[in-house]
Amino acid sequence: MKNLLETIDLRKTYKIGKIEVEALQGVNLRIREGELVAIMGPSGCGKSTLMHLLGAMARPSSGKVLIDGHEIAGMSDSELTEVRRNKIGFVFQKFNLLPTLTAGDNIAVARHIHGSGREHDQHLKEILQLLMIEDKMGRKPSELSGGEQQRVAIARSVANRPAILLADEPTGSLDTKNSEIVLNMFRELNRRFRQTIILVTHNPELVVYTDRLIEMRDGVIVSDNDPFSEDTESELAQPARSV
Amino acid sequence: MNKKMIMAGLAARPVRTTVSILAVALEVTLILVVVGLTAGISYETGKRTEGVGADIMFQPPNSSLILAINNSTMPMALENKIKEIEGVKAVAPVQTLVNSSSGLEIIYGVDPQKFDAVTGGFIWHKGGYFKATDDIVVDDVYALAKKVTVGDQVEVLNHKFKVSGIIEHGKGARLFISQQTAQEMTGMVSRASMFYVKLNDPNQVTAVIERMEKVFPTYGLRPLKEYAKLMMSTSMPALDAFIETVVFVAICIGVLVIFLSMYTTITERTREIGILRSLGGSKRFIIGMIFQESAVICLIGIVIGVGSSFLIARLVQFVFPTLIVMITTDWILKASFFALVSGVIGSLYPSMKAAAQDPVEALAYE
Repeated sequence: MKNLLETIDLRKTYKIGKIEVEALQGVNLRIREGELVAIMGPSGCGKSTLMHLLGAMARPSSGKVLIDGHEIAGMSDSELTEVRRNKIGFVFQKFNLLPTLTAGDNIAVARHIHGSGREHDQHLKEILQLLMIEDKMGRKPSELSGGEQQRVAIARSVANRPAILLADEPTGSLDTKNSEIVLNMFRELNRRFRQTIILVTHNPELVVYTDRLIEMRDGVIVSDNDPFSEDTESELAQPARSV
Repeated sequence: MNKKMIMAGLAARPVRTTVSILAVALEVTLILVVVGLTAGISYETGKRTEGVGADIMFQPPNSSLILAINNSTMPMALENKIKEIEGVKAVAPVQTLVNSSSGLEIIYGVDPQKFDAVTGGFIWHKGGYFKATDDIVVDDVYALAKKVTVGDQVEVLNHKFKVSGIIEHGKGARLFISQQTAQEMTGMVSRASMFYVKLNDPNQVTAVIERMEKVFPTYGLRPLKEYAKLMMSTSMPALDAFIETVVFVAICIGVLVIFLSMYTTITERTREIGILRSLGGSKRFIIGMIFQESAVICLIGIVIGVGSSFLIARLVQFVFPTLIVMITTDWILKASFFALVSGVIGSLYPSMKAAAQDPVEALAYE
């Protein structure tokens, strides 16, 4: 299977005042096309930082991030933007829909930025059907429930057929029923369209919907049940080593 | 799609959008009305001066072209000396007085006989020249504006006059009093503000002026043909400076308001910018969006500004019928350009700031 994402000894350090905080301390992982992966860990373990790096929203302090074979560390801002535009779809905890636009226009903005033509029309139609939001396109986010907003956000993120869908706490703002609906839809997207999905969460209940669980703690991966890897969990727990 | 986003963004903040549009409209109105008023008064006065029918205007040394207003600083005795110049047919001394209590009115103190000799005489609508020292001749525009007719009393410069005649407008001033009364009112007995000179041959203006310059080297000698053009601001450095100041102040208003509007917009919409960046929106896309939004504000402001300028011009003419606000296509284009420039300058920094935002930080913005 084709590797879509790979990190090699990935480190990220933030400076908060005069103190340097090491959010990632040597993360090695490999995610293949069509996988549905959960990255789990407590707050502050570095999972959101990892997601930002995997989504080309930030550059690593050291180490490598390869997105679809392209190393992002040395990329310019416009190159990173292009990677986000063409390869990545984001789903956030707070939905992050543009409040002044309708659901349909929110999706249209993403397509406009991507420069999509009519070639993705059929795909979008199927997505909207799958997410059961075809009739919500004329409504503004404020007129939608949390679950509906998140489904619009999912539709927006996959409208341009990105290689990778990154979801940061996608059920964090939803009740149990809506969480279940949204998670089922992620699974359906993965199965029907072979969409590579990475869910970042601290919620262990979410794990049952995924094929693979990567656990993080204090900026390192402590376990990874990678079905394709021969490496052991104990080896993964060692920082600065390839998976 | 951009258009939809921009319009939705503007509609989502109606108060700020309205205030910004009105500020741009104010900028345009300020330019058009002030320039229009200046140009209107200058041109109209110039036209009237040109309409006197004289060939040369003789003014004191260092005199101003503006409205031909000067203190009565020249001795009347100059009249005969001017007459002696070869080619001069007639000379009319004039005292100018300015009444600014309602608009701006120029009053000429004239000797009827001499003034007629130069101008060819007035076209009378009613009545005739002054018979007493407190008589006044007014033009038809003034009579209509002030609703006065022959025999009515008018107060000019704290002096009560009786209207003795109403003339067709377009010859020098709107109000005419006797030279003697003007001299008494100014306290400048036997002195004149200027002399209108009529030549035997109007084609000899240049030659006669050359001859006059030899006798009166320091005096102001101006040919009256195309005088109105000379009165336009472009030929008058003082008015140019005034207009430039007004334009500068107006642009400053536009720049500051657009800056403030766009700056608060991008601060409020930090998260939205983060969303667009996460979707793959480039810096250029963000900058373009802010610029387009400010352009829409400017364009609506320009339309309202131009419209309200014409409305104000009407209002000014209704309240002060003798004032003219000259709104030209040339200045409409200039004012529009200035408004757009202020929009570009005002949104430059905010758009750069928006584009430079870190997507991760922008998305975390509450």
